[in-house]
Amino acid sequence: MQLSSLATRNVLRNRFRTIATALGVAVAILAFVLLRTVVSAWTEGAEYAAKDRLGTRHKVSFILSLPLRYVAEVEQIPGVKRSMGASWFGAKHPTREQEFFATIAVQSKAFFEVYDEIQVPEAQRAAWMENRKGAIVGRVLAKKFGWNVGDRVKLRGTIYPGDWDFEISGIYDSQRRSVDLASFFFHYDYLNDSVPARRKDQIGWIASRIDSSDKAAQISKQIDEKFDERDIQTLSMSEKALNNSFMGMFAAVLGAMDLVSIVILLIMMLILGNTVAMGVRERTHEYGVLRAIGFLPRHLASFVLGEAAAIGALGGGLGLLLSYPVVEKGLGRFLEENMSGFFPVFRIDTSTTIQAFVFATLLGLIAAAIPAYRTSKLNVIDALRRVG
Amino acid sequence: MTDEKKTGTGTNGSKMIEVRNVTKSFVRGKETLEVLKGLDLDVPEGSFDALMGPSGSGKSTLLNLIAGLDQPSSGKVVVGGSEPASMSDSARAQWRARNVGFVFQTFNMMPVLTALENVELPLLLTKLPSKERKQRAQIALRVVGLEDRMHHYPNQLSGGQEQRVAIARAIVSDPKIIVADEPTGDLDRKSADEILDLLQRLNREQNKTIIMVTHDPSAAERATVIHRLDKGALAQN
Repeated sequence: MQLSSLATRNVLRNRFRTIATALGVAVAILAFVLLRTVVSAWTEGAEYAAKDRLGTRHKVSFILSLPLRYVAEVEQIPGVKRSMGASWFGAKHPTREQEFFATIAVQSKAFFEVYDEIQVPEAQRAAWMENRKGAIVGRVLAKKFGWNVGDRVKLRGTIYPGDWDFEISGIYDSQRRSVDLASFFFHYDYLNDSVPARRKDQIGWIASRIDSSDKAAQISKQIDEKFDERDIQTLSMSEKALNNSFMGMFAAVLGAMDLVSIVILLIMMLILGNTVAMGVRERTHEYGVLRAIGFLPRHLASFVLGEAAAIGALGGGLGLLLSYPVVEKGLGRFLEENMSGFFPVFRIDTSTTIQAFVFATLLGLIAAAIPAYRTSKLNVIDALRRVG
Repeated sequence: MTDEKKTGTGTNGSKMIEVRNVTKSFVRGKETLEVLKGLDLDVPEGSFDALMGPSGSGKSTLLNLIAGLDQPSSGKVVVGGSEPASMSDSARAQWRARNVGFVFQTFNMMPVLTALENVELPLLLTKLPSKERKQRAQIALRVVGLEDRMHHYPNQLSGGQEQRVAIARAIVSDPKIIVADEPTGDLDRKSADEILDLLQRLNREQNKTIIMVTHDPSAAERATVIHRLDKGALAQN
């Protein structure tokens, strides 16, 4: 037997309380891991962006338009291989309005050159090019709505009011994780021809493929300088920077998630602290006996701390065991399939795993600090409750 | 006369415990309670002494001072040539671990440890290797006649057996003295007699100096010397 045996044996002394506390810690760790994974997956989404693709938008805001003619001018800039105008269409399924998916009008002739990671069978691609009302949809979206190639579908416009008719020309897929497989792309010309004169020849942004990722900053600067003296100025950046600036809008949400993670850990610490304090109170007499037979205050403190760390580690381990199936197999798979644009990779980071386990153990130690200190200061006679 | 001495003590004459003019006071709120009042006591090595007296007479307080669990308000307590009150808290704890074996009324076993592990407990404070600790604990259990119960947990033992395990724990580190506070207080007559037989045997065969607090006159009869305390002083006959 070793000194540590006493601490670990005491962990299982009140099995129900230990299991309940460990489960409480486990649930807190599960919530912590989930939130940390949301934050890291969300942030990491930007990392999966193509490094040789630039985005150009209105200098003031995402929601303001650029003139269509800018696309050709951007394409003239040295280093730009191909440019494409696009507009956020913002339509909804007429009967399933709660289901969100991206609907984007794109200049289809340049689309597959700018987004070469999007894969559509050759015949479907050709059919799309031929069909003015044609659309290509991601594999996940097609599965969700039960759409097949050749289906005629009607979408309800929000930014561009009215019912819009489309025909599914192709279903796209991709090997790259950053590609959202739940989007709906259709011809910009169809949109442009259908809107009133005052909304014609307007695009939301320009996506450009460049010949070298090393020149991204330099080419972005050249694009913006070109329009510097115009009425409408631009702001260009790499796709990654564009994603990051988009993420910036959610900074408050991510900050709140971080805060909630900390609050969860604090709650976990209080649960642990309460359990340890109860155990210590119940064993005061035993600690008195140990002190009487020669154990030192530091021995008692280490018993208390060891017990708390063991419960924390037990709960932390249990929480991580729960986290992997829940976060990766359950929620993660769903998010990767349905929101791959935001969460291309929804997996628990190794750093999150380590953090969760270390925090669970460490917070156990912190929670036990006061009971451990009090135990070490115990008066032997009082603890033994012997009066002459 | 303060003490009742009996023949055949088996002592070798040298003092194991020397209590000189000891007072002990406790402050309770605004009141100061003087529990021991200038008490003197000598216990020779190898003696088996009983402390008797009514509740509140100071016998457990005296036992605590001898065992180095508490310090006198004034006076001197010397045990085996050392004065525990002059030591730091840590040094006193280490001194207790080496020199004093404790037997309590309520046995005070660690319920999560087996009999063998409970007996081994004081040896964890030594540098002995694990194998030797275990061997010594087994020998101590053999001495108290419980070698066959070494893997039992306290809740699988009778009260008498638990107290015998407690005695094994008290002797495992081969201390000079054993202090026993009402060791038979929670036991039936038969178990109590077995415990007293055991204490007597340890006194006679291993020359352990034993100080026992008891209310039980028949338990006190087993001691070689009986000290009667009353109101913080040794009673005069």
